[in-house]
Amino acid sequence: MMNIDKYTDAIRNCRFCFMCRHISPVANVTFAEADTPRVRAVMIYGATMHPEWWSNPDYIAMLYRSDLSRCCTRHCVNHFDENSLNIAARTDIVEMGYVPENIKAIRDELVAGADWQLSGKADVLYFADPYSTEAGTDRVFAEIMKKAGISFATVSGCGCIGRALKVLGFADDAKAAMTKFAGVINASGAKSVVVSNPAAYHALKVDAAEWGIEINADVMHTSEYFLSCGLNISKQAGKLYYIESDYLRNYNELTFPHELLAKLGAEEQHLGASCDFLDVPDQQESFTCGEGAVVLPRIDAALVEKLAKRVVEQVDDPENDRVVTASAYTKIALERYTSLKVETLEELVLKSL
Amino acid sequence: MLVAKDSYMYEMIRTELIDAIGAEFVHTCDDDKLGHSIDYYWIPEMWHDRGMPTPKPDFIVHPGSAQEVAKIMKIANQYRIPVTPWGGGSGSQGGALPVYEGIILDTKRMNKLIKIDKDSLTVTCQTGIIARHLEWQCNKAGVSTMHLPASIACATIGGFLAHRGTGVLSTKYGKIEDMVMSLEVVTPTGEIIRTLPVPRHASGPDLTMLFLGSEGTLGVITEVTLKVHPMPEAREFRAYVFKDFHTAMSAGAELMRSRLQPCAMRLYDETETLTHVSKVFGKKLDQGAYLVFGFDGPKEIVELQMKYAREIMENKYHGEDYGSQGGMDWWKNKYKFFYPGFMFHIPQAFGTLDTVATFSDIENVYWAMKNVVQKNFPQARFIGHFSHWYEWGCMLYARFIFEGKDVPADPGEAAALYNRVWDMAIRAAIANGGVINEHHGVGLKLGRYVKDLYGSAMPVLEGIKKQLDPNNIMNPGKLGFKGF
Repeated sequence: MMNIDKYTDAIRNCRFCFMCRHISPVANVTFAEADTPRVRAVMIYGATMHPEWWSNPDYIAMLYRSDLSRCCTRHCVNHFDENSLNIAARTDIVEMGYVPENIKAIRDELVAGADWQLSGKADVLYFADPYSTEAGTDRVFAEIMKKAGISFATVSGCGCIGRALKVLGFADDAKAAMTKFAGVINASGAKSVVVSNPAAYHALKVDAAEWGIEINADVMHTSEYFLSCGLNISKQAGKLYYIESDYLRNYNELTFPHELLAKLGAEEQHLGASCDFLDVPDQQESFTCGEGAVVLPRIDAALVEKLAKRVVEQVDDPENDRVVTASAYTKIALERYTSLKVETLEELVLKSL
Repeated sequence: MLVAKDSYMYEMIRTELIDAIGAEFVHTCDDDKLGHSIDYYWIPEMWHDRGMPTPKPDFIVHPGSAQEVAKIMKIANQYRIPVTPWGGGSGSQGGALPVYEGIILDTKRMNKLIKIDKDSLTVTCQTGIIARHLEWQCNKAGVSTMHLPASIACATIGGFLAHRGTGVLSTKYGKIEDMVMSLEVVTPTGEIIRTLPVPRHASGPDLTMLFLGSEGTLGVITEVTLKVHPMPEAREFRAYVFKDFHTAMSAGAELMRSRLQPCAMRLYDETETLTHVSKVFGKKLDQGAYLVFGFDGPKEIVELQMKYAREIMENKYHGEDYGSQGGMDWWKNKYKFFYPGFMFHIPQAFGTLDTVATFSDIENVYWAMKNVVQKNFPQARFIGHFSHWYEWGCMLYARFIFEGKDVPADPGEAAALYNRVWDMAIRAAIANGGVINEHHGVGLKLGRYVKDLYGSAMPVLEGIKKQLDPNNIMNPGKLGFKGF
């Protein structure tokens, strides 16, 4: 049995459906039909009858170009999961030995570099993942905690806790990475693990459970944690664009970021536009620049640049508008390729105290 | 394949295309070729489902401007290469399929909104823009195209222009051809032309209308100015269930003859009411025919029109009132019908036999199509609804459905069965006052009926094609024109 066999529904229903075309983030910047859930499903269905398609470099590249934002699944009225189908197809490609060298190189680096250290001891353990560290989110979190008078421990380091390896199709490596990381967390004795990075949140909250790996602590996103701390907000955040996170919204339907924004007095403007199925404005397309794919910049940096530039097209005044994201990944991508003023949720909280 | 990939001619042509529009926008990869080999037409879907190879283009080009389209046309003429325009690829008639391979000219990079003129209430845009993206941008400026078809998520504005598409608010705001002010077109020989800036004039024949519905056979529409409308203060819907389809049709026709101005009206026959409407709304409707309509505009005018409409529905035709909530259920779910899980899907065989006729003829057309399908294909279901209403008649959106067990496994036999249904049903429609299509276009699917429909006017149409496209490079084999 192949991994894709678990997603027969998605294969059969997505392959001839065009209804999420307008919110296909990659197709909206490459203009290529190939970069839509429809064509990926067409190809995967075709490969079930023509096994030689699995080794076609063009088809493999197409699958690895997906942003894995899951906005198509969320938009679909029956929520067919092309996103998981794509990851399953990548896993099959890995298992059949057709994985391209560039993807294998990323895997090797992620596996070899995994190294986690604990610092301090407290009930609250903050996970300073590599993206949050690069964006400085860990330092901002520390300042907030200092102002709030809350002590916390930190787990930090480099490598992957499983999600990046999973989306690349290396299922066994992914599980091993999470097993190793869970051991570090469980050894800390912390009651709560607080996570800024939405992908890491999903890995700890969902992937670990799917792999049967126990995390002996409550996993909380920083937005949920901040709401629970009773922070003393003294300044209103005002008008801003909030970029919905793939992992927090599309994968987990987490409402904490919006509750936090409301508490901070944010006046949210919406990127893209509304959905006819809903009565409230709702950002349908993903503008995370590939947060769902975790390591997309290492696969196709030029594509991430295009995704970032599409965000610029969505705001009214690129030079002055404020853009807020829950994702350090997205902040890094937007700051690398655009002149947008981007803040993380943590930075917004710090300014409001 | 036009020329073998290992032939030096292949590289010569590719080099010229790259020189014209840039390497990034000339694709020859297998994934994009596959993506352009199947549209929303059942035959290529079935072909792929059965593991058969689908015709693929040699090159996919993504021009960003009319000038780049013109360069591509000149290259295609020089080497006599067929060019098939592709917008969203969501057409159901096979109009965008590269049946003679060659070049697919994907328009989606031409996606810029150029200008919203708030004095004249018009929007000018490139035609590769996805309709939903254009509508979003218009909404942001406080206006709407009011062109809201089910394919709004995936089809481009150019696609609608090319096949004379229509949206759910057509009864008030018109089909796409009613919305157009003017066009920019690149002709098959690479000239960039503009039609007159306004649609109403006495300055000679209307070139705008010549290109609308030409399905990429007479050139590539690269820019359009469309009418837009202010966002209405109110939009109200109301639904009724009538004892039978005939009574509901009579009520609907009377509403149109009253010259009240509904923005939308839709009538589902008894079968579709029972199966589809019930399923989508999650409500049990055991019998009767469901009719929904709405008005939009200033609130007081909407209320007044609704008052008069209710008198027709309730007092004269005794419809069972499902209220404004019953109507809003339809409005909120209007696209849901087309998502997988609600839409028909392979292994089923299905097709939309849409046609249009006057109120005098439309019920005859409905029964003629239904009878011919049921008599000759007893294993098929026939359902229908009436989607787009005019002062003089309405459109029939009839569908036939074979369950998978009734569809031959052999792809040739399956296609033959499918085509037989079309042959009988469409000819029944024509014989009773209908036409071969209302808003999906002709494409590959219906080309064989065009000569019947146009009769002695067909040479005029063919003469225009020959004059504009002397080398027959533009979308050959579609719209009833000759192949390559």
